[in-house]
Amino acid sequence: MITLEGVAARRSPLALSNISVTWGPGVHALLGASADGGPLLLALIAGAIRPRVGRVRVLYGAATDAPVRPQVAFVPLEPALPGAMRVAEVFQIAAAIRGERKPDVADRLGALGLATLAGRAVGTLSREEARAVAVAEAITSMRVRVLLIEEPLLSLDARAVNRLPELLRERSRAGWTIVIATASVRDAAELADDCVLLRGGVVVGQSSCVDLFARSSTSARLRIVTSDSRALAAALAREERVDAVARRDTSVTVRGRDLLELARAAARAIVASGVSLTELRVEPPSLEEARVAVGGMAAQIAEEQP
Amino acid sequence: MIAVLARPPIARLLRSGRGRTVVLAWSALAVAFAVTARSSGSLHAADHALLGAFAPLVLPLLTYVLAGAVIGARSLSLSAAPMVALGARPTQATAATMSVAIAACALSSGLLAIVVDVVAHASADPPLGRDAVACAYAGGLGGGVYASWFALGASFGKRGVGRPVLLVLDWVLGAGDGPTALVTPRAHIRNLLGGSAPLQLSERTSALALVVLALACVTLAIRRVRAK
Repeated sequence: MITLEGVAARRSPLALSNISVTWGPGVHALLGASADGGPLLLALIAGAIRPRVGRVRVLYGAATDAPVRPQVAFVPLEPALPGAMRVAEVFQIAAAIRGERKPDVADRLGALGLATLAGRAVGTLSREEARAVAVAEAITSMRVRVLLIEEPLLSLDARAVNRLPELLRERSRAGWTIVIATASVRDAAELADDCVLLRGGVVVGQSSCVDLFARSSTSARLRIVTSDSRALAAALAREERVDAVARRDTSVTVRGRDLLELARAAARAIVASGVSLTELRVEPPSLEEARVAVGGMAAQIAEEQP
Repeated sequence: MIAVLARPPIARLLRSGRGRTVVLAWSALAVAFAVTARSSGSLHAADHALLGAFAPLVLPLLTYVLAGAVIGARSLSLSAAPMVALGARPTQATAATMSVAIAACALSSGLLAIVVDVVAHASADPPLGRDAVACAYAGGLGGGVYASWFALGASFGKRGVGRPVLLVLDWVLGAGDGPTALVTPRAHIRNLLGGSAPLQLSERTSALALVVLALACVTLAIRRVRAK
C-alpha cells in the first residue's frame, strides 16, 4: 500500500537519500532519532513535501491525488488543528473533507477515552490533548487506510496512551497500513511488526521488531525498584551471571548477557536480601545497540549466502 | 467543499476578539473623519472624507486587519495547514481562506463607504442615492482587491511577512499618478472615488485594472501554496 522507490528528499537541515521500502497492511516502525529523517519520511509519504528524485506511491496513486488524500492521515509531533474551532466542529469538518457521514464525536473521542474534550475549544487544549484529538480523528475515521504517526506514545494525553496500542493493532488487522516514526526501541517493539532503521537519512537495516529487540540485547538490562536498594545491590553483586550492578536512589540496574539468567539471579538476590519488590522492568536496548544488532544480522545473512 | 473549508477562516474572523476591536476602531475613525468633514462646512464634505481619509488610510488598514484575522496572523500555507492535515487539497483550502477574506473585506469596506458617504454628504456632493451606490461599488471592489493583495503578501515568509511589505508598497507607490501606481490598489480606488487617476485612466479602466489585479494576486498566491 506504500511504495518508495529510490526516494531522496530534503528539508533543511534534514535529508533522505535512496530510500526504497514497500509496506503492506500492518504496523511498521521507522526507527531512528528525529535527525535521522523518520518524520521527514512520514511527511514525504503524506505528500506534505515532494521527493527530489524517486517515486512515492500510496494506496493506488500519489498521496496528493484527490481520491488518495482523504484516506491518508498524518499526525506529526506538533499537530495542526483549526485554532478557532471546537473539537466537535473539527471532527465534523474532517468528516466532510474525508467524505464520511456525520460523526458521533463523543463516540469517536471515547475510543481513546477523550469524550470529555468534545465541547472544548481547540485553543484551550494542551499539546498532549491536541495530539490525542488529532490521533483520535485519524484512527476512528471510516475513510483512512494509511495512518502515519510521529512518536505515537510521546506527548500524548495519558488516557489515549493506554488505549492506542490496541487500537493500532485493531486497525492493522482491518487492513490499514500504519507507519510510526520513533526513536524508542521499546515503543517500536510494542507497537510495530517490523522496523526500518534509519541513520542520517539512509536505511541501515530492516528487521522484525521482536527480533531486533532480542538481538539488540547483547547485554540484557533489568531495572528493579525496591524498598532497600543498597541490600539488593550487595546481593546482586554476589551473583555469577550478573556482569554489572548500578544503584540510584531506590532503583538498581543490573546488566548481564542473558535476560532469563539475569531474571533468575535477580529473583535469588531479592529472596536472599529479604527486600520487598516495588517494580521490575526490562530495560529496552538503545538505538545504538539496535543499529549494531541490525548490522550483525546483515553480516550473518551475507555469511550464510553462498 | 469550499463551503466546508471556509468554516475555519470564518470562525477565526468571527471569534477573534482582537480583530473585531481593531475593525470597530478603524470604522469609528472613518465615521469621525466623516463627521469632521461635514461639520467643517465644506460643500464637498463626502468627497473630502472619502478621498482624504477613507481611501488612503482607513480602507487599506481595515482590510489589512481583516485579512490578518481571516488568515490568522500566519503565512497563507500555514493557515490552510490544518485543513490539509485533515485531507483537504492545499489549493482548495487556500482558495477557501482567500474567498472568506475577500468577501469579508468587500462587504465591510462597501458598507463603511456608504456610512462615510451618508454621514459626510453635503449639498454640492452628487445626489445621495447615486453617490452611496457608487461608494459601495468602489469600497466593495477596493476591499476585495486589498484582501487578495494582502493574501498574496501572506504567502511570503513563515509568518506572512509579505503582508506588511505590500501595505507599505501600496502606500508608497500608490500615492502618485505615475506608471508605478498602476500596480497598486490605492491609485485605482482613488480614481473610482473621484480622485486623481493614474496615467489619466478612465474609471472603467481602473475598475478593470482592479479586477485584473485581484485575479492576479489570487492566482499567484494559490500557485505559491501549491509549489510548496
